[in-house]
Amino acid sequence: MTTLLQLLVSGVLTGSIYALMSIGLTLIFGVLRIVNFAHGEFLMIAMYGAWALGRLCGINPYLAAIIVIPAMFLFGAAAYQLVVRPGLGKPHLVVAFATMGLSIFLQNAALMLMTADLRDIPPVFARSLTLGPIYIKDELLLGFVITLACTSALQWMLKRTYLGKAIRATVQDGEAAQLMGIAVPRIFLITFALGSALVGLAACVMVPLFSVFPAVGLNFVLIAFVIVVLGGMGSIEGALIGGVCVGVVQSLSGYYVAPAFAQLFFFLLFLLAMIFRPNGLLGQQGAATIGTSE
Amino acid sequence: MAASRPGPPQRAPLPPRGRISWFEIVLFAGCAAFVGLDLAPALQDVSVLTFLFAGLALAWNIAGGYAGLISFGHAAFFGTGAYASTILLLHYDLTPWLGIFAGASAAALAGAVLALICARLKGPFFILSTLAFAEVVRIVALNWPALTGGPEGLSISPVPDLANMVLASKQGYAALMFGYMALVWAITRGLEASRFGFRLLAVRDNDDAASAAGINPLAVRTAAMALSAALTGMGGTLFAQYFLYLDPTYVISPELSFQFAMLSTVGGLGTAVGRSWGRS
Repeated sequence: MTTLLQLLVSGVLTGSIYALMSIGLTLIFGVLRIVNFAHGEFLMIAMYGAWALGRLCGINPYLAAIIVIPAMFLFGAAAYQLVVRPGLGKPHLVVAFATMGLSIFLQNAALMLMTADLRDIPPVFARSLTLGPIYIKDELLLGFVITLACTSALQWMLKRTYLGKAIRATVQDGEAAQLMGIAVPRIFLITFALGSALVGLAACVMVPLFSVFPAVGLNFVLIAFVIVVLGGMGSIEGALIGGVCVGVVQSLSGYYVAPAFAQLFFFLLFLLAMIFRPNGLLGQQGAATIGTSE
Repeated sequence: MAASRPGPPQRAPLPPRGRISWFEIVLFAGCAAFVGLDLAPALQDVSVLTFLFAGLALAWNIAGGYAGLISFGHAAFFGTGAYASTILLLHYDLTPWLGIFAGASAAALAGAVLALICARLKGPFFILSTLAFAEVVRIVALNWPALTGGPEGLSISPVPDLANMVLASKQGYAALMFGYMALVWAITRGLEASRFGFRLLAVRDNDDAASAAGINPLAVRTAAMALSAALTGMGGTLFAQYFLYLDPTYVISPELSFQFAMLSTVGGLGTAVGRSWGRS
């Protein structure tokens, strides 16, 4: 019983961190209707940034977020202008390949500059929290709190602010939004940069937990894709629920079946979701069957 | 503004069907000359891989270019073909000359299953599902050592033996891969001029109109995926016979799937000659 509880707790906490890393992707997916295949490499770069600030300047990774987030916002804006924008409105393959090309480029650039070594920072907290028989890693708990805070803030921003309303209007009907005086291209740019900035936050939360290496993105981006599709594209609560599902499935199957099969289970979960609920758990009706740019 | 809302995708005008251009003849003659020349081993390595990957890109293009089924999971079929023929060779002593067809059938089955799973999905959802499918295949292959040798992989005895498709010279392999490329090219060309080929284009360009014209889009998509997967599986067998070693981390990697798709796209979607040109 205690084991099960322990597995559930760590599953939920790890899952929330996965969710944090996927929110940027789901936002971009939902608004621009494109898959950013370089998402994992954005995460990799931001993690290297947080690592470098920690290792070289001795800055706590959670404080490093103050520098990493704006830097990733600018990086995202630049990537959008140079790589994504020229491909919008063309068949999906164009943007898929443009972002994939960017991902390969960034991965190899990182390999050249940083070599393939695994890089870590020393643990931030000296010990785990104990709650009765349950152990909780402080970094995970803090990540969970940050994820909740970040999703609530994002929800508030989307519901209440002018920018948020403009983003939602663009999602509903880009043409009508434009007629209402919303600068849709600028909304796209801001959304893409905002999504990248969220990756920066996720990276700062993840650096104390995972090692950084040039190919770190591929592993996480596959998880992020699963979460985004599972939750329903563009849905932020969906990403949170999808992330927790993936975290729990991973932790349970890793313990009861075999660690190697943990990934298998969430890919199967993904395929099942695609067969039976192609709109995701909380997605928009028909999102998967309306060819998004066809 | 063009960026605000994706309009109908612009399709290139259909290429002339069924006619073989001078360009293709020259290209193929050039490739055949490469096989015939006695080159340095490093150059022969290049030509072996060029022909193999040109064939694979052509095979991907049947699904990705003609049927509009953009797959990032073709490494699963490549791996299925490679493993099927190699396992048959190692455990049942079946020559890869026959095993290649067993591999192709297994890959075709996998392709049909994938097409049926993803029947309702479009755009990014389809792409991501194919990626997830290949990951499932990779993880299973990695964790089923009794069948696939797990992470250690499978090795084929390097003693040259024509009966087991282990050739003595790279030139022989170059000829073999050239044959493969020519086969996939011929099938693609045959497809272009056939009723089935037109159905593929119809389903790709307008699903509803195709149904209204009496085409069953699901059947057409499944068949296209199965054909493309079968040819990719054959490429997998040839790859295994050339390298004489297989492991899931390479043969079923997402990177390999991206490579097929990318080679194909460089050449231009939905044309036969572009594929081979992209690699050359």
